[in-house]
Amino acid sequence: MMLSFLSDLFTLDFMLRAFIAGIILGILAPLIGSIVVVRRLSFIADTLGHFSLVGISVSLFLSTLGISIFFERPLYLGIAFSIVGGFLIELFRRSYKNYKEISMVIVISLGSALSAIFFSLSKKTGSLYNYLFGSILTITDYYLILIIIIAIIVIALFVIFWKQILSVSFDETTAKFLGINVGLFQMMFMILLSIVVSVLLESAGVLLISSMMIIPVAAAMRIGLSFKSTLILSIVFSELSVFFGLWVAYSVKIPSGAAIVSVNILILIIIAVIKKTVQRRNIAKLDSLQR
Amino acid sequence: MQIDIRNLSFAYGHKTVINGLSHSINSGDYVVIRGKNGTGKSTLIKCLLGINSVKNGMIFLDDTDINAYKHWTKFGYVSQDFDDFNYEFPLTVEELLKFSSVKKGTQHNYLKLLDQMGILEILNQNINSLSGGQLQRVFIVRAMLNNPEVLILDEPTASIDKQNTEFFYKTIDEFNKEGITIILITHTDSIEYINYTHTLTLNLDLTSVIDVKPPVEGDDAL
Repeated sequence: MMLSFLSDLFTLDFMLRAFIAGIILGILAPLIGSIVVVRRLSFIADTLGHFSLVGISVSLFLSTLGISIFFERPLYLGIAFSIVGGFLIELFRRSYKNYKEISMVIVISLGSALSAIFFSLSKKTGSLYNYLFGSILTITDYYLILIIIIAIIVIALFVIFWKQILSVSFDETTAKFLGINVGLFQMMFMILLSIVVSVLLESAGVLLISSMMIIPVAAAMRIGLSFKSTLILSIVFSELSVFFGLWVAYSVKIPSGAAIVSVNILILIIIAVIKKTVQRRNIAKLDSLQR
Repeated sequence: MQIDIRNLSFAYGHKTVINGLSHSINSGDYVVIRGKNGTGKSTLIKCLLGINSVKNGMIFLDDTDINAYKHWTKFGYVSQDFDDFNYEFPLTVEELLKFSSVKKGTQHNYLKLLDQMGILEILNQNINSLSGGQLQRVFIVRAMLNNPEVLILDEPTASIDKQNTEFFYKTIDEFNKEGITIILITHTDSIEYINYTHTLTLNLDLTSVIDVKPPVEGDDAL
């Protein structure tokens, strides 16, 4: 089964595209996800995903009105709406300073409602399934090139501004005294997050975006000894999930996003069990030494 | 750094916590801000640092209105209980200090400062495995990375033991002797161990008292 999957992976164009896209997203998702976790904003990816879905549904709706410029490339409006969603979160956060999570509930509700309205008006609800659960196996050459360009930009910005991004993420208040324009880097991160979320929407689906970003990081946090090792481990877990998720999705014909996230969860459980077992053994060893 | 507070008032909603406070802090001063809980000590600090925006009254930093002030790297700040910092995510001391060394020319300051604080050996340790005292010293090192002119510490000894408290005040004395202005909030410590130049006591009835430490023969801090 695995051999035929590997053979198809390198002979069938759509499989190779899906694999390359998955490998790239397997780096991007935990890279952005680790910052999201540090900032304690795990819910934000879901919120932006729902707003990105508004952009997709508006693209489909516009095509029914004869405006088809976004029909083939709904991702552009997806990114634009995701960025709008990010700014709306900030706007509502200022109004509910002590209840910051309320802003995300407002934006996710608005996003869900608007998506449902525009999908319904576009009469193309059939494509909704792909956007809910992802369809990495159906991505095009054009979309793959777009992912590669976005990945290069995101990784380059991370490499250049890693000090500023980490300083603002770990401690927003003190970052100002280190000489950082906090507002600028918050905005930059929000835009990068919006772009990555929109890209993930196509492959993982809106319901599974935050899972791809957060779960590998959650597993790596259990055993990581430093930020660097946690980030590397989360990328390794993410890549394993992409590979085995694609294999399962291809073999048993289930949505790829769901399969990838299921493998992610499995890794999280395995790591948690291993850690617990090692901890118990260490405690038992200490006990026996004390006796 | 000259700090002038003029007729400053601050309220959370309808609750006024600072009412018409005026005070000047000169370069090299060692100011202890005292007062019971709820007297506005942390609020005052947050106003001085531009975290709380000043709308009633004025604060001048080197003759510049705080609302137009840009040179925040001249300030080092250690917050109470480090509550703004996410220290649950895996992160080593070296990683924290490396990414905090943003300003050019400060990249290697942290090794010298860690040595000065007596914690060079914890360089590769995870932040969440440190004791309260070690963590506090790490945050002081971070606050000192940019060679600030003013070091502001909010209840710095609240969560550390007596031995670490004594070491802490000794180190802060050294920084003050190097010319750094120290502004320190405390509400429980007895201040006889501190080489302050003056105290500013905030009271629950929104008044304040400035107490200048009398010169003591042989006290080279004055």
